[in-house]
Amino acid sequence: MPHECTNCGRTFPDGSKEMLSGCPNCGGNKFQFAPSGQTTESTESAASTSAEPAGGTGTADTTGTVKRAADTVRGWVSSESKQSAEPTQSAEPTQSAEPTRSAEESLENRTPATDASHDESDGSWPEPETSSAPEQRTDTDEFTEWPETARRPEDRSTAVGDESSDVDREHATFESASPTTSTSDKSVDSSPSSGEHSTLEDSENTAQADARSEVVSTADLPSETPHSTSDAGAEPTEADGPGDEAGTQPPDHGRVVSEPSGDQPSIEELRAELNEQFESIKIVSPGQYELNLMELYNREEYIISLQEDGRYVIDVPDSWHADDDE
Amino acid sequence: MGLFTELKDSISRVTDRLFAEEEPKRIGIYGPPNAGKTTLANRIARDWTGDAVGAESHIPHETRRARRKENVEIERNGKSVTIDIVDTPGVTTKVDYEEFTDEMDEDDAIRRSREATEGVAEAMHWLREDVDGVIYVLDSAEDPITQVNTMLIGIIESRDLPVLIFANKIDLDEASVKRIEDAFPQHKTVPLSAKEGENMDEVYANIAEYFG
Repeated sequence: MPHECTNCGRTFPDGSKEMLSGCPNCGGNKFQFAPSGQTTESTESAASTSAEPAGGTGTADTTGTVKRAADTVRGWVSSESKQSAEPTQSAEPTQSAEPTRSAEESLENRTPATDASHDESDGSWPEPETSSAPEQRTDTDEFTEWPETARRPEDRSTAVGDESSDVDREHATFESASPTTSTSDKSVDSSPSSGEHSTLEDSENTAQADARSEVVSTADLPSETPHSTSDAGAEPTEADGPGDEAGTQPPDHGRVVSEPSGDQPSIEELRAELNEQFESIKIVSPGQYELNLMELYNREEYIISLQEDGRYVIDVPDSWHADDDE
Repeated sequence: MGLFTELKDSISRVTDRLFAEEEPKRIGIYGPPNAGKTTLANRIARDWTGDAVGAESHIPHETRRARRKENVEIERNGKSVTIDIVDTPGVTTKVDYEEFTDEMDEDDAIRRSREATEGVAEAMHWLREDVDGVIYVLDSAEDPITQVNTMLIGIIESRDLPVLIFANKIDLDEASVKRIEDAFPQHKTVPLSAKEGENMDEVYANIAEYFG
């Protein structure tokens, strides 16, 4: 039953008009909305987000009618948005899911990439990224820190399985301390390679350098790195994806908001939930928008324009009257 | 001293004007996209002031910025009401450029949909801050029970704004005024065709009565 009077518990079918003038039983004017078909799905993942905003957004103080309307629309919007979000994810689950991630992880990946190039010489490692990998390395600052990184390539080569992830974690923790210990056989191989690193770096071109520097700047590296390392287990497959993506094209602006809902129950997801709670306009993709009318209505500030990159320009209500006062 | 008196006179004249007459009520014309809001606004403005408010189109989201027509004086049965008419962009929860790609190229469609989204935000903002009454326009050939309509009417009720529901497009064969009356029995529903100018007498009578 979609609508339930919070006072006497009487239920009403969706779209019922009876309750528009209050509950016929008890006269109550607060109703809660529990969509039957849609919510069952959405409750599992998205419902949490939809439920929370309803409570928190301050609709509570408006009258029952509004709250009901808000709830109705919220439920509807969230379930809708969830549906729309899923297809995009299913299309490229791992890649698109973590643009930010990829940036963060690029730190780690760099080292493996360098190794990868080494491995390539062996022929064992058919990495598409090899070209980009050497570039990343060239960062002088980081490079100095990463002589050990050689181990990572090994991880990479083995990376496909879960084992690699474990290895990664060890690396992450031990990175500075004992790279060699953590890496087994391959570390030995890598150590000679350290000499080669320098040549690789030299070979870097400006474009590569650019690519690397961009990645570094966008990510909140300091705060996030620990987190990303912990998630490293999931990376091996992702690492290929994001790496490519980052190189070829910037992450799609519009999608970022909705993506985290899928794969990891991590900080990313929490952040996404937060975003959803405060969101009044969701940019599904360029030219496709979902609007949370209640949020727009409740909002103090006025959204003047949407930028191509998904940013809003907002202003206080009074400043724009002048324009319109013709 | 003459200068001083003159100044004083003009000041008092200004204050008289400020306080003697009320500010004209600002009436927002709201509704889903393509309900005929702009057609109605133009009809009213043309009937009482001689000029139009904005462009009309069969493509949804033609109005993407709120437009205002000030000091529209409507006389009915010896009663005169002065209102500002605000024609708002159609409110919806979803804007998709693919809706327009038949009519224009993709870039234009995407821009249109972005502007339409901004328009919805603007309309919602006006509703919050800037209207004293609402004319809610519905296409009587469409099902009136939608999330958007229910929510907007709910918001309007919660603010205790006077609201008139206009069942527009009664010239269409599929039009059903009763469906709208049944959907919102707590409000006065006025059937009309803004395009054909049908039943405009009753429209103005109700405007004068509700917003006077």
